[in-house]
Amino acid sequence: MAEAHHPPPLVAGNKSSADVTRDICAPLERGPTGWWWSAFLTSASVLALGAAAVAYQVATGIGTWGLNRTVGWAFDITNFVFWIGIGHAGTLISAILFLFRQQWRTSVNRSAEAMTIFAVMCAGLFPLIHMGRPWLAYWVVPYPNFRGPLWVNFRSALMWDVFAISTYFTISLVFWYVGLIPDLATASARARPGWRRRLLEFFSLGWNGSYRTWHRYELVYLLLAGLATPLVVSVHTVVSFDFATAVLPGWHTTVLPPYFVAGAIFSGMAMVLTLMLVARKVMGLEDYITQRHIDPMCKLTLLTGSIVGLAYLVELFTALYSGNAYEQFAAMNRLWGPYGWCYWVMIGCNVAVPQLLWFPRIRRALPAVFVISVLVNVGMWFERFVIIVTSLHRDFLPSSWTMYLPTSVELATLAGSFGLFFTCFLLFCRFLPMIAMGEVKGVLEHGRGNVAEEVAP
Amino acid sequence: MCDDHKKYDWSRREFLEASGFGLFLAALAGCGRAPVQNAFGYIQQPEGAVPGGTDWIATVCGACPAGCGVLAKNRDGRPIKLEGNPQHPLSQGGLCAAGQAAVLGLYDSQRLQSPLIAGKPAAWDRVDNEIRARLKDIRARGGAVRFLGETVIGPTKRAMIRRFLEGETSRPGIEGQAADEGAHWKGFSDARHVIYDSLSASALLDAHRLTHGVRLLPQYRLGEADVIVGLDADFMGAWISPVAFTADYRRGREPEGQPPRMSYHVQFESRMSLTGACADRRLAIPPECLGTLLNHLAVRLAEKASVPLEKIDLGRPPVPAADLDRLADRLWQARGRSVVLCGSQDVKIQVSANFVNHLLDAYGATILLDRPSHVKQGDDRRLSALVREIREGKVAALFIAGANPVYELPEGGELKSLLRRIPLTVSFGSHLDETAAMARYVCPESHFLESWGDAEPAAGVASVAQPALRPLGDTRPLIESLAAWMDRPQSAYELVRRHWEESIFPRRAKGKDEKADTFEAFWEDAAARGCAEFEAEAPAVKEFAREAVQLGETAPEQPIDNLTLLLYPTVALQDGRHALNPWLQELPDPVSKVTWDNYASLSRATAAGLGVEDGDVIRIACGEGEEKNVVLELPALIQPGQHDRVVAVALGYGRRGTERFAKLAPDWIEARPLVGPNGLVGTNAAPCLAWEGETLRYRRNGVTLTKTGEKRPLACTQQHHEIAVPPRLATPGAGRRPMIEEVALSAYRAHPQPGGEPTGEHGAGLWPDDHPYAGKRWGMVIDLARCTGCSACVVACQAENNVPVVGRDEVRRSREMHWLRIDRYYSEAADGVDTAHQPMLCHHCENAPCENVCPVLATVHSEEGLNQQVYNRCVGTRYCANNCPYKVRRFNWFRYARDDRRENLALNPDVTVRSRGVMEKCSFCAQRIQEARLEAKRLDRELRDGEIQPACQQSCPAQAIAFGDLNDPKSRVARLAASSRYYQVLSELNIRPAVGYLRRVRNRDAGEGGMQHG
Repeated sequence: MAEAHHPPPLVAGNKSSADVTRDICAPLERGPTGWWWSAFLTSASVLALGAAAVAYQVATGIGTWGLNRTVGWAFDITNFVFWIGIGHAGTLISAILFLFRQQWRTSVNRSAEAMTIFAVMCAGLFPLIHMGRPWLAYWVVPYPNFRGPLWVNFRSALMWDVFAISTYFTISLVFWYVGLIPDLATASARARPGWRRRLLEFFSLGWNGSYRTWHRYELVYLLLAGLATPLVVSVHTVVSFDFATAVLPGWHTTVLPPYFVAGAIFSGMAMVLTLMLVARKVMGLEDYITQRHIDPMCKLTLLTGSIVGLAYLVELFTALYSGNAYEQFAAMNRLWGPYGWCYWVMIGCNVAVPQLLWFPRIRRALPAVFVISVLVNVGMWFERFVIIVTSLHRDFLPSSWTMYLPTSVELATLAGSFGLFFTCFLLFCRFLPMIAMGEVKGVLEHGRGNVAEEVAP
Repeated sequence: MCDDHKKYDWSRREFLEASGFGLFLAALAGCGRAPVQNAFGYIQQPEGAVPGGTDWIATVCGACPAGCGVLAKNRDGRPIKLEGNPQHPLSQGGLCAAGQAAVLGLYDSQRLQSPLIAGKPAAWDRVDNEIRARLKDIRARGGAVRFLGETVIGPTKRAMIRRFLEGETSRPGIEGQAADEGAHWKGFSDARHVIYDSLSASALLDAHRLTHGVRLLPQYRLGEADVIVGLDADFMGAWISPVAFTADYRRGREPEGQPPRMSYHVQFESRMSLTGACADRRLAIPPECLGTLLNHLAVRLAEKASVPLEKIDLGRPPVPAADLDRLADRLWQARGRSVVLCGSQDVKIQVSANFVNHLLDAYGATILLDRPSHVKQGDDRRLSALVREIREGKVAALFIAGANPVYELPEGGELKSLLRRIPLTVSFGSHLDETAAMARYVCPESHFLESWGDAEPAAGVASVAQPALRPLGDTRPLIESLAAWMDRPQSAYELVRRHWEESIFPRRAKGKDEKADTFEAFWEDAAARGCAEFEAEAPAVKEFAREAVQLGETAPEQPIDNLTLLLYPTVALQDGRHALNPWLQELPDPVSKVTWDNYASLSRATAAGLGVEDGDVIRIACGEGEEKNVVLELPALIQPGQHDRVVAVALGYGRRGTERFAKLAPDWIEARPLVGPNGLVGTNAAPCLAWEGETLRYRRNGVTLTKTGEKRPLACTQQHHEIAVPPRLATPGAGRRPMIEEVALSAYRAHPQPGGEPTGEHGAGLWPDDHPYAGKRWGMVIDLARCTGCSACVVACQAENNVPVVGRDEVRRSREMHWLRIDRYYSEAADGVDTAHQPMLCHHCENAPCENVCPVLATVHSEEGLNQQVYNRCVGTRYCANNCPYKVRRFNWFRYARDDRRENLALNPDVTVRSRGVMEKCSFCAQRIQEARLEAKRLDRELRDGEIQPACQQSCPAQAIAFGDLNDPKSRVARLAASSRYYQVLSELNIRPAVGYLRRVRNRDAGEGGMQHG
């Protein structure tokens, strides 16, 4: 198949292993650039704004959000689902694509996994702060206690969320860390003596680069990839249960789990694209993140985007065909009601715009891909908003219908979550090797002709 | 205090059980004199008082002059709740929203704490001395003494005022004995008691003087009527005595009664009133056409009665002639069992109404003249004469009690400066209101729960008003003040008791029980039961004076092209007397569902013509020519069912003192103002009232409206008002939501099982039932045929369950906290619009969607079917509220204000005060269930059906709510649940609610429009 036309190498510039090490470790070893500083200060300020908003909200009351008796969730759970979704591409790239031996993943998997972890951190924040009494959040954890036979409700989808997210975060973190170990050892070997070196040494767990070490490492990595794989499907399925198991028209749908999983990968891929396109430029990694990486990610985006589009159609069809007046109304209200514009933003960004990726010319035009990836995430944020708010604000009893409008505190909290995400990501870029050196070296073509193709299954 | 506490050998457990108490205590309520109690709990506990125990004290509601019987629930010496007294013959156990809220008024921290002289606190001694000295002076110079006040229903108070003004010799029959005790109180040579009602029914009384020779307000017996015609009379909302009317109206509408009865109620009105919303037929008429309409009816009926009439020009009827013919037929067929109620303030129109009633043989049947009502006695003529006197500077002393003329009268502004010129002005106001602020002396009256008093709301029905606690401030009942100034200080208790002994006891209804025929027994019985019946002096009613009827004079009023301003009282604030009560300010108007503001209601067409939408501020200019131009600026509200030529504005807003609400709600960065641009809640519309002839008119012709361009969004608890979804979002056949089910009477009679799907049934599930309900299963049935939407239950629930007030801004954000709300839906109907009310509260579902979604098990199901919210376990995810199909769960978004420590005394100690961040909702008054259960256990008996009444049920004047054990087939609630009218809302979700409704029955023929099923 691949013989017909010779694909360009995964890493451009005919790099040797030494080049790789030098290039990847460079950002760690040279001082931060002006770009980095300005980006970091911006993100950190936005994070500070978000932190202030959350502190104000916790001190004053959840009433500082625009929620009401009818719309009990809006920005909070929208942001939660949005960030959880973002995380999924990371796991997909690092675990599933690993199992499928997709070599293009090597240049992006480290950043994608980091993205997952930061996204899950952002996501995890919202269920905590959306509580009326966040200081009692630990009550949702089933732990032995002396409050009598007080236990949690295993029938609640929120309870399932607690398990899904905590599992997801743990596995992602471990997976990411295990993958980092060889590179940490490389970085520590290159570091000047001092606290940085000691720290890197400590976290590389005495890595010595021996054959046995590599062997065991590969085995652990494979196992972890196997463990993480079901999470790609299960986490967002569980998140979708928050809605699918409710009685609310617009939520109570069986299509939600696959719909959510596809949407999660869709938005995650878009986020990886956004980040990688910026990072390759800013961090000077054009040789490592090439069209060979961007192209399959664009295709994945197109595929999942189309699945999402299909899910929208199925949802509408089921609702209108159901014969259930409430479901039908929920669908009509989504399309043409007061939040109809959100629906059409969603359709535009998630269904229409990604269709441009059918064209190779567009996939190669990186500015266009960047714009599309950003739009996809705008659309995916609106998707969650549409699911949550349009279903809630007009449910069964017309007497309770009302509108929801976010407050400045909610907007600041949303911005703050982006601040947290980018602050973490920038710190990651600055202090850890953002490309898996060990893995990239395995796919180099330097000095071996076209070995890569023969290895591919 | 109850004096028959048995001696028990109490174990600790029994003691605790007994500390819970039951409603049975109501029967023993307030035996004899309630000793005056400490307001803040006992320092030295009186013997026999059970800590935490409840005393029920029968008294009289003082929230308005309707004088409904109430039981004050006292806990540790302070009243915490008022309930309707089921033994009271007029109110029959019902109590309106304002009555329910009165207990909060008791603890109002802005009530005056002591008398004032020129605005400065003073001692009673000094006030008394100064007033006595001035009165002496005035008497010596023969100055005019005027006592201005609203209707006095207390016989003692009425007699005291008369005695004070006219002296003791004037009625020796009653006050003769008093005269012996000391020097004669001679009264004043020029004294007059000017009674006026700010919500006047003066024309109705005047009309009876013309037609029956006596100026009186008849007693209407709606329960005896088969056809009721309401003409701009909101008799179940705010006209005269809504609780009694509602209770009576309900008696005539019992489709399952023995025998079944269903009166036919037609309402003609220009604005949309609560009563109109309840009517079987409601027709919007132009505001000036009431007289024409009545004339048309009168002519038709006169023809049937073969009463000759002079030929008059009737003009064009405001409603289709065929409708009038049919109505006349129905009225005529039901003569002797029909009644016309007219709310007009035009004496000629009222005379016509009397004529129609006379033709219908209503007098003596559905309208009683021999036992008149005393609820409205105001005489606008005398008021206008007094205003003239004040203007001319002829008044030497003015006493003002229970009235706020500076606020309530159109010439209030002028009066404000005129009052200053009167040598002696004494106000009895409990607050420093608009009028009291102008008075030299303010002698604050005690709250009705703080003082002895009495009431005779209708001839022959009297109640003793017992105090429930000692005055919180240094206030004094009016009768004590008068007694002090008459130089024979006496306590209110002595005064009331003596009056009863001298005037009421001798005329007592001679009972079967001769042995208890002492005054002591009579008095104790009256105090304990809350009422006594006696033979009242029948007024000297003459034969109907046919010559008084001058139909030609009222008709035809020239139809006008421009708009008419209608001023009306709201159910909550009435004339503004309750404007300082936050519960009532936050009570959604039963029709518009707006809180915390008044507004200009416009019909859709009128609003469209002006280009205004809800919340656009419009300027209403009234008064033409030499009259001063009165201008109101109010936000607009589009009101379905209103006549196009009407703009309706509520009275009672813009009261001084409402600036206190500016800081009511949580303070945060996006908090919005809680009061209007004037710093007050709403705008006073009283300056637009007009004198016409010598009656005060609540309407004004020829007003002009202009749009100001400003916006002032209203705090409305309901944003979608129709039962149908917006047409553009409706799928075929799914436009109308099925929450409200109605049935036309003809269809109901034809098929006891009216159309629509059988509801309340559910197929077999896959899983075994979670809840066996081995013992009780609590449930509720609400009869939509009875519910009027009056909202008494909403405030009753608020009082019982410590529901916080959240303020205008939070209501605008859809965050009102009411556990029980009343949904109001409009639907298209043949006559314009049909209105339906539906009380909505937690349905305590068996498969509760809220229960399985809570991650921390903060909401759980009890063995008896209660859906229990565990506040201290709740972490506030709000998932339960999202998943509640009825949207009845309420969340504490902030720590809602409970900063008024005085008002906190009204909190119910049996109910937790919720903190911020937790969910709450209706508990079916779990505390009452528990009380009754403990009481039954203590007495070693079973719980009886009807023993447990949630606060909403207890308060309902229409008795629309039934609560009890669904497992007991004999219970009232189970019997109603088996009725063919029974249905459940959203039963298709298989959530198995424990609350159901009975279909509303409209007395119509099938297919006459409306939200009918079947």
